[in-house]
Amino acid sequence: MKRKAQTKSSRVSKKSRKTTPALPSEPTYSPDSVDLTLIRWMLSLTPAERLQVLQNNVRSILRLRGEQTES
Amino acid sequence: MASKPSPDFLAILRTLLRHRVDCIVVGGVCAALHGATITTFDLDVVHSRAPENLANLQKALKDLDARYRTPGNQDRRPALSHLSSPGHQLLMTNAGPLDLLGAIGEGHTYEDLIKETIELDAGRGLIVRVLGLAALIRIKEETAQEKDRAQLAILRRTLEEKSRR
Repeated sequence: MKRKAQTKSSRVSKKSRKTTPALPSEPTYSPDSVDLTLIRWMLSLTPAERLQVLQNNVRSILRLRGEQTES
Repeated sequence: MASKPSPDFLAILRTLLRHRVDCIVVGGVCAALHGATITTFDLDVVHSRAPENLANLQKALKDLDARYRTPGNQDRRPALSHLSSPGHQLLMTNAGPLDLLGAIGEGHTYEDLIKETIELDAGRGLIVRVLGLAALIRIKEETAQEKDRAQLAILRRTLEEKSRR
């Protein structure tokens, strides 16, 4: 039982190492599991930069899918 | 339409604005412009169905080589009668997919939505009219399907984060 608890605790600490530390007033996730760090990052960009992020995301996904695209 | 064009939202918007098409960007591109972490593959716009605007829209669609992307219709170009309807024209252009929406949600037209829009610089001086985030959320809530529900959570949190700034 004790060993199981330790395993769980080490898994949590591994996960927490991956996430960006957040201030107590700024949660990392919303109660419905939306990643707020990404939203804050997007909000730090200008609308033109946000559109560029979206455009790049779409191109990356299409490339990963192996679809032939015109650039 | 031999090749698959990579979506170029800016190119489509530039063409629409060059032809002075009155339209409002809605959907995923609108959400992203507001800062929501949503990915989309098509550009959704609600267009004015005023006769002069439809003429401008047809010229823009010709430049974009727009055709229907629904199966069996890929060679068809949208006719004026289609563009003047409240229906949704799902098109493929030489700059990627474009959805022309005569009305959205529970029948909201360009004229209904215009008062809830803002203008944003989408890059290289291109000023586009987009639906306000609160209105985008409200209209998505009206007809929320499964995929919209996941997006709604992100949109609501984006609005919250924006209002905290």
